[in-house]
Amino acid sequence: MEVSHSVKERTIAENSLVILLQGLHGHVTTVDLRDESTATGRVTNVDAFMNMRLAEVTFTDRQGTVSHLDEIFVTGRNVRYVHIPDEVDIRATIERQLQAIHRVRYFGGRDKGRKEFPRAKHK
Amino acid sequence: GGAMSFLKRFPPPAEGVRHQQPDTEAVLAGRSLGTGTLYIAESRLSWLENSGVGFSLDYPTISLHAVSRDLNAYPWEHLYVMVNAKFEEEETKEAPMAEGEEEDSDDDVEPIAEFRFVPSDKSALEAMFSAMCECQALHPDPEDEDSDNDYEGEEYDVEAHELEQGDIPTFYTYEEGLSHLTAEGQATLERLEGMLAQSVSSQYNMAGVRTEDSIREFEDGMEVDIAPAVAGQFEDAEVDH
Repeated sequence: MEVSHSVKERTIAENSLVILLQGLHGHVTTVDLRDESTATGRVTNVDAFMNMRLAEVTFTDRQGTVSHLDEIFVTGRNVRYVHIPDEVDIRATIERQLQAIHRVRYFGGRDKGRKEFPRAKHK
Repeated sequence: GGAMSFLKRFPPPAEGVRHQQPDTEAVLAGRSLGTGTLYIAESRLSWLENSGVGFSLDYPTISLHAVSRDLNAYPWEHLYVMVNAKFEEEETKEAPMAEGEEEDSDDDVEPIAEFRFVPSDKSALEAMFSAMCECQALHPDPEDEDSDNDYEGEEYDVEAHELEQGDIPTFYTYEEGLSHLTAEGQATLERLEGMLAQSVSSQYNMAGVRTEDSIREFEDGMEVDIAPAVAGQFEDAEVDH
């Protein structure tokens, strides 16, 4: 998943398990909400505040009524559980996300990140 | 039925409107509130019926929003918004509801209100959804239990912090300090101590006063304040800090 452009969000992600959720991009996942409804769909975005965006969603409300939603945005506050799919290697996912963040931080973007090599002198 | 008591008259938002969708019906718990304009603004979500009355929803109260195209669940494509609050559906008197008249049988569960915004232009649903995502992200949960999310300011540079450890000024004891000196440093120290010892025997010496004699000593341009000439003055100085 593309790393956030926000320094603050990168730092939050790096220091919490949100980083794992961000690695679920593209995977079909079930999210249990605080009100006991559930949403199963493909993860399209997770931000540092655990707001989650899913596509092609099967939504079961707290009464048990099932419906289909094209896209859903669940606020982080209302996420109770996120089911990590079996095929996801949790440790590898976290490491990959950390690497992505470090790439952005140290090398990435236009003039962003620490300069690894001194600028060549003009002749 | 009676008018919805939560509907008020207010001017449409003027600032930070990310998306505005006219000709949009608002539905609460299956009951239509009329047709009007939905304003997706950075500060709040507002809907105003064409007559000028409407309501606003604060993003922190919104649990989720979604695009629904499932006509089996609801006959029109719409933007679904779930709100963490109770909205009166009928005009109520001040008297509280009698027990058992609650719509929801589970009283101890938090209140939920389900809004549907049905635009006449269905192709706008994507833009409406995205605008809401953007605005929602502007209102992170202030009651976040994780108080560690205090990452304001510069990015935490792990490597830089590790390198910095040697730069933090510390105070050495005499013995420790001696062992940290390079060969050059040792030589300088010896020279300084030699000068101190010399000044003990000088008759002209006063603290900080440079006589012609003392100037000659300092021909290399180095300025040093010679301490008062009391032999062994510092020998009993405490060195342990």
